[in-house]
Amino acid sequence: MTAQYIPLVVLLGVAGVLVVTFFLLSSILGKKNMTPTKAMPYESGMESHGAAGVRPSVKFYLTAILFVVFDVEAVFLYPWAIEYRSLGWAGLVMMLGFLVVLALGLLYVWKKGALEWE
Amino acid sequence: MNALFWLAAAVAVLSTALAISRPSPVRGLVYFVVSLLAVAVIFFLLGAPFVAAFEVILYAGGIMVLFLFAVMLLGTGPDAVATERQALRPRTWLGPAALGLVLLAELVVALVRRGAAAAPGGMVGPERVGLALVGPYLLAVEIASMLLVAALVGAVHLGRREEGEPR
Amino acid sequence: MMPLAILLGVVTFAGGLVWAERRLLALWQDRYGPNRVGPFGLLQVVADAIKLLTKEDWVPPFADRALFVLAPALVMVTALLSFAVVPVAPGIGVVGSNVGLLFFLAMTSMGAWGVVLAGWASNSKYSLLGGLRSAAQLLTYEAFMGLSLCGVVILAGSFDLREIVLAQRRVWFVVPQIVGCLTFLVAGLAAIHRLPFDLPEAEAELVAGYHSEYSGMKFAMFFVAEYVGITLISALSAVLFFGGWLGPVLPPIVWFFLKTSFFVGFFILLRAALPRPRFDQLMAFGWKVMLPVSLANLLVTGAIVLS
Repeated sequence: MTAQYIPLVVLLGVAGVLVVTFFLLSSILGKKNMTPTKAMPYESGMESHGAAGVRPSVKFYLTAILFVVFDVEAVFLYPWAIEYRSLGWAGLVMMLGFLVVLALGLLYVWKKGALEWE
Repeated sequence: MNALFWLAAAVAVLSTALAISRPSPVRGLVYFVVSLLAVAVIFFLLGAPFVAAFEVILYAGGIMVLFLFAVMLLGTGPDAVATERQALRPRTWLGPAALGLVLLAELVVALVRRGAAAAPGGMVGPERVGLALVGPYLLAVEIASMLLVAALVGAVHLGRREEGEPR
Repeated sequence: MMPLAILLGVVTFAGGLVWAERRLLALWQDRYGPNRVGPFGLLQVVADAIKLLTKEDWVPPFADRALFVLAPALVMVTALLSFAVVPVAPGIGVVGSNVGLLFFLAMTSMGAWGVVLAGWASNSKYSLLGGLRSAAQLLTYEAFMGLSLCGVVILAGSFDLREIVLAQRRVWFVVPQIVGCLTFLVAGLAAIHRLPFDLPEAEAELVAGYHSEYSGMKFAMFFVAEYVGITLISALSAVLFFGGWLGPVLPPIVWFFLKTSFFVGFFILLRAALPRPRFDQLMAFGWKVMLPVSLANLLVTGAIVLS
């Protein structure tokens, strides 16, 4: 069962070698030339002030939680989808129950305004 | 096959150790992702490709990005590194580590007594997972949806800015 | 041999695509585009590659060195690895896996890490903002990319892309799954942050987003990975919804090539024709339109299949 995946490992190896080769080639062929302006973060010609540690909006965190919730939902949906034909109407009703609960959750989040980015 | 398993297991243990001991939170997260990928390889070798795929999609892809946002919210600068170093002093981790060792010893004893786990019965394809979910575990799946909604609602309220609260 | 052949084919196709895009955009904007190097400017890509190879191998002193180098490599390798599960023609393809579709989704979510790490490792404000935006956008659109493919899985009863193609012998899945097809195309464009979803690198607001601090070969990796990504999404659209290699008269591999090229051309046309939305519009569109639509599509498909 693992034997059929050997080409995948080969592909991974070849892709890795390709990337490393290009990086090595460029580090050999490219010239090195350090200037003081190069050592500053690019900010459209303005001098950089303060650290780059921008504290992201809590919205990013909320988006990630929403994603995890709907990804877990997908985890349940995939095995259901693949066996769907043999499950029949029972399968549809069962998933309907599952989806309705989550849709209500989405609706709640929507109404609370958590999907708005100001 | 067996050699592959041990290799993946070694990677998992090593990267987990590094994930704990790196002072930079983001570096630690990257090692954590590597550890999860190694666990996915183990699942795959044990004949559960479906679980392996979801280990990557859900844990390495989704939940780790959630962690990354949390880490960034708390700051990743030199301050965070200093705090992390503080937490890595022996005085802080000796207690938990001793308790962890007790659990590990218990696990080893249990494993030795029952003998090594028998190889699982062949490959568990996606079809079998599907039949199990809508068969014996139907109720658990439906309850899971409620749990997910609870998580959603909780997150919305924790993330909400109260009126007049500074940004 | 097969992995090497596929890899070579993909990279060559992506290279040709860079040229084709520049020529087509020029055509639509009433310019010439690259037409000096070689016949019709075809060797422009080779010239660019040589130029990029001889550029300085630059890592900014303020960056996190290891992650800065790892990020572009990660983006490139995951994009190339996804092709492992794409069936080009009967007997041509790297692996036929019973979790093929999931492997593609897994690689997409790993590719997102490359972009986020690039933004963080650069240790520069624009890069970090670009990386964060990119992460939020990818999460939003990945959430329904999986759902949009559920309809196809129901119809074919398999995650194996080969079986999905074979299940389309009677009718292409684009007919029963037109909504799924459209949502997948939108999600695919967002996943490779291609215009109009290129907000992570919106030059008007974020300089160059997560790859602001990148140059030379490392920048080229992001650049080529984007074109490999376009090829991947085009090939998958052809396989999942337009019957892959199936078609009359011509050999299967030609059909696959033609269908993939059609989508590539369509994506280039989108770039030429559409403006870029605002970030809040983009997120709202994902959660409030695409997600409910793909859920509804799933239920309707389920009901139709049974009746």
